[in-house]
Amino acid sequence: MPDSEYDVKTSEQDSEAVYSIGAAAKMLDVPTSTLRAWEDRYGVVTPGRSHGSQRIYSRRQIEQLRFIKAQIDAGLSAADAHRLLSQDLQRGRMPALPAGHQVGIGPLVLIAERDRYAGDLAEYFLRTEGYDVCLALDARQATLLFQERSPDLVVIDLLISGGAGFRLCAEFSAKPGTVVLAVASIDSAHEALLAGAAAFLHKPLEPLTLVSTVRDLLGTSALTREMRRTQVTG
Amino acid sequence: MIERLSSGQPRLDSILNGGLLRNASNLIIGVPGSGKTILSQQYVFHNATVERPALYLSTVTEPLDRILRYGETLDFFDPAAISERRVIFEDLGNALTDDGLGEVLRVFDGFLKEMRPGIVVIDSFKAFHAFAKNESDFRLFLYALSRRLTAGAVTSMWNAPYTREQAQDAAEFAVADAVISLDTKKTAEREVRVLQVLKLRGSGFQSGEHTYRISSAGLDVFPRLADAQDRSPYDLSTGRVSTGVAALDEMLGEGYWAGASTLVAGPSGVGKTLMGLHFVYAGARAGEPGILATFQENKTQLGRIVRSFGWSLDEKGVHILSRSLVDMYIDEWVYELLDLIEASGAKRIVIDSLPDLMTTAGDPVRFREWMFSLVQRCTRRGISLMMIVEVPELFELRRISEEGLSHLADNVILLQYMRDDSRLARTVTVLKTRAMHHQPLVRRYEITERGFELGEPAVRN
Repeated sequence: MPDSEYDVKTSEQDSEAVYSIGAAAKMLDVPTSTLRAWEDRYGVVTPGRSHGSQRIYSRRQIEQLRFIKAQIDAGLSAADAHRLLSQDLQRGRMPALPAGHQVGIGPLVLIAERDRYAGDLAEYFLRTEGYDVCLALDARQATLLFQERSPDLVVIDLLISGGAGFRLCAEFSAKPGTVVLAVASIDSAHEALLAGAAAFLHKPLEPLTLVSTVRDLLGTSALTREMRRTQVTG
Repeated sequence: MIERLSSGQPRLDSILNGGLLRNASNLIIGVPGSGKTILSQQYVFHNATVERPALYLSTVTEPLDRILRYGETLDFFDPAAISERRVIFEDLGNALTDDGLGEVLRVFDGFLKEMRPGIVVIDSFKAFHAFAKNESDFRLFLYALSRRLTAGAVTSMWNAPYTREQAQDAAEFAVADAVISLDTKKTAEREVRVLQVLKLRGSGFQSGEHTYRISSAGLDVFPRLADAQDRSPYDLSTGRVSTGVAALDEMLGEGYWAGASTLVAGPSGVGKTLMGLHFVYAGARAGEPGILATFQENKTQLGRIVRSFGWSLDEKGVHILSRSLVDMYIDEWVYELLDLIEASGAKRIVIDSLPDLMTTAGDPVRFREWMFSLVQRCTRRGISLMMIVEVPELFELRRISEEGLSHLADNVILLQYMRDDSRLARTVTVLKTRAMHHQPLVRRYEITERGFELGEPAVRN
């Protein structure tokens, strides 16, 4: 099926308005009232509006707000933080986070999913739960991201790239400290577990089931992993 | 692994082999007023949860306010579900009229992420056609929407005012996993509402047209009674049941076999109903509850009749199912009967009369199928069934015109008039008994205040 105008253009995804103010607040750990106050007072990060006139933030805007929060955490006033962001934006630059500030807040999840809509939704649901997420839509991209980012958990669609998911399952789970959650629209629990997956979910994925399975799999060890990553990068 | 979405109504669920397909697209077609909106709202209110709410999307045919205004009159419409955001009504009309199908998808993406709906109703789906540039544009939209619904683990219902013929040519028909048609059917001067499953992927369903009614409780569906022949063995009762008339028991050996079906045929006024009453009261007094299902008399009229023979309608174990034939659906009635059998533990049933039922069935082939199913259900549960048939001839009956149903009956009893000088005498004949011997006699009987009283074998003058 060729791309049609009804497909999501991946390149536009960063500026696409997707997150509600509730989701943004959760991801940033900033109350919704504060987000609204910032918008009213400084007018730098102004989300789009839905047809029902609800605020919708894009991923880029979330990053901008993350920058604001980091500056305030580092001791700046809200007004100064916004001025700084506004200067950066005028220079056409993505704001850089202050030194020592971790980009990813939560554990990193790599989603290797053949269906871009399913991948997009899974990414959204995990991000709003505080996970850092990267998305691959084929086996090659998944391997690259896996090597580059060392995710704590990988969600693999077993049927990605014509069934390469089984191989990825075995490869990724062989690396110590990596948890693999296999998913497929056919019942492949047995094969997935044999290939090294820690768990199997039948597609389509119910949002709550996905989130709670990921949470269970990362469990309390997520904290120690986070420390490990901080040690490695810091 | 196909899970089902229950409507909350076991009878409707049974037609769909358990319910609508979960995580699938279900197309509901039917002319305006056939109950598509009500049906989809039944599913919505029965299944929505806070975690997986139901999203009801109106398009440009039905304004949202109108859907809500009528929805409110339904019993299951729960305002709390709306305030708790278990059920969310949204209007796609603006997105559609301002920016077309692409905008609908964009808005829909937002809904999937924000609300995580488990159920999405699109009412009406047909409206999308008008916004597609051409047929292939519509198909692309349909494909893009289906992919989103699949990815989001959504059970969707697409309501569309298609006729059955139009639906089969529509692109939605091919894409949908299930197709349910709501229609009206005209038989003689009567119009009945019928529900039919046209497609259900990966599953069987109860085929054919099932009548339904619409009330404030929603769609009440009566799956057509059409059981396949069940050849599995069952306990064949070795007991006999009394007819309630001692001399007739004697003619039959010791009465009917328990679980047998008996046809009682005769002209008007000869005593067929009385024969049924004997059967029910004899059972009730022997600890076998019975049901008298009548279309002829209401309870008041029937009360007077039974009192004149020394019985009472209040007697323990006697249950009356009285129903006027006006606007009666045969499959609706049979569920009243089956429910009463369940509630009363009935072991004997008298149907007074079979031709009454036949007229409501409309179609003789359908009636035979229906009757076969009912007889089989009764036999397998050891319930003795008596079916009363009125015949037009007063004398010299040549044939029993009951559409070839006598082969369903194990026993056939004939009640007739006979000229006896200036008097009109009544006679009883056992025409047929299955698996037992009977006296092939024509015997006179009188109807007294004690009911049937059999006399000597009749001799023709």
